[in-house]
Formats: sequence, structure tokens, C-alpha cells
Amino acid sequence: MTRWLVRLFLGGVFVVAGVLKALDPARFADDVARYGLLPDALVNGVALALPWVELLAGALLIVGVWRQAAALVIAVLNAVFLVAVSVALARGLEVCGCFGGSVARKASVWTLVEDFVFLAAAIWLCHKERRQQ
Amino acid sequence: MGQTFQRALLIVAAGGLLGLGVNAVSPRRIPWRRPPRWTPAATDLVTLEDARRLWERGEAVFLDARATEQYRAGHVAGAWSLPLQEFETVFPSLRSRLSPDQALVLYCDGERCDDSYRLLLKLRPLGYTNARVLVNGWTLWRRAQLPSVQGGSP
Repeated sequence: MTRWLVRLFLGGVFVVAGVLKALDPARFADDVARYGLLPDALVNGVALALPWVELLAGALLIVGVWRQAAALVIAVLNAVFLVAVSVALARGLEVCGCFGGSVARKASVWTLVEDFVFLAAAIWLCHKERRQQ
Repeated sequence: MGQTFQRALLIVAAGGLLGLGVNAVSPRRIPWRRPPRWTPAATDLVTLEDARRLWERGEAVFLDARATEQYRAGHVAGAWSLPLQEFETVFPSLRSRLSPDQALVLYCDGERCDDSYRLLLKLRPLGYTNARVLVNGWTLWRRAQLPSVQGGSP
């Protein structure tokens, strides 16, 4: 039951995050560029691909197909976000892009906490689903 | 675990291809490769010191190239909001208040943000030749604790 709720929650968050980013690729690409972590040549490709990976992994988690793999993808993505947001905070950048441009906000310590919770949930799921299989 | 890893890679590959594929047919399509970054000429730029002087004497209009929400959250005092993404809809209403020889300081935020420069490239052909970019403007302005305000456009 708990696992089902966590799957639904985490999957839901990632589907929403993916959809919001996919709706405005130009803005999300600008956000990715603003982090300054990727070479310019890769920025748009990542900005185009990432939302759909989030969406797909989130959807799989919700419908319960390839759960462990979907949780693994989400865990890795969150680890990457955690690093990116930390660097942005350390550099004093005003950027987030976490839920696309439609939710205007900049990264804060709360974003880190949020990422950390999602990461923990994903790792936990990944672990649980393995024992299940 | 090996199978899980393979599946995870498949999810990433499928998601990525889906994203690139959708972009190819989407009306909101963006190029796969980001256009090369600008290489500013010295004459395109204004230093913080000069920008501050212009501001104090009221000799320049500051234009904020960031998104409206970011502008509302805080901007250079007196700056007008002109988001790059909404240039075509917003600029006509500002144009009547800006003579072509008006000194303009354009800014966005972040060392690598070139929205203000792209704004410059849009303004120049319209006759605004006295426009310059304050790179990383919002961050510099805040760090220097120069006057800023929150809220909508003046």
C-alpha cells in the first residue's frame, strides 16, 4: 500500500514536471542554458529529451510497468537535479526550470529538500521493487 | 539488476527519441542545436559603473529582458519590462515613449544569459543605436545593492 502511494506520488510529480517542460521547450532550453553546466551544442537536445524521459518514467511508475527501471531513471535524474541546483545556488543563479517555465520560481534550499525527498523515495522504491521481483 | 539497467537505458532512449521526434513536428519547435553564443563587441556593452551613472542621472531607460514573472519578483528601479519572448507584443506599446536616440541599458540575468543581447539585435534595426547590454545585469545590480523594486511595469 505504501509502495503504491509512493509510486503514484513520484510518478505523478514526474509526469506533471515533464508535461510542463515539454509544453514550452524554448523556455526550458533557456533555463537549461542558464545553469551553464552543458556545452551550448547539447543544451537544446537535453531540453527536448529530458521532459519526455521524465514523462515516460513517471507514467511507467504510475501504471506499474518496469517499476524498478522507472524508479532507477527517476533516482538518477533527481541526483543530477540535486547537483545542478546545488551548483546554481552556490553560484547565486536565479534559475530553476524544475517544473518548466509555467511555475515561476527560482531554486532555493527548499528545491534541494524537495529533490532530496524525491531522490530518497525513488531509491526506496528501486530497492523495494527489487526484493519483489 | 542487469535487466533493470537495460530497461532504464531503454526508458531514457525512448523518452529522448520521443522528445526529439515530437519537436520535429511541433509548432513550438526549437532547433536541435542552440545557435552559437554571441561574441559581444566592446561597444555593445556597458559596465556596471557606467550603468549606475546613467541610472543616477536618469539618462538611460533600463529594459528588463527577463520573463514577466522574474521582472515582478524584482527589477532595477524604474526599469521597463520587455521580455525577449514577448517582444512582438510588448514593444509596440513602449515604442511611442522611446525616441530612437534614447540611451538604453538592456539586462537579463546570469553570465551566460544572452536575452538582453538578442533584444539589442532586435532594437538596432528599428533605429535604436544607443542601446547597450549590461551582462549579468540583475545579479550585478543586486550585489551592488543598487535600487530595485518589485511589482508590475511602471
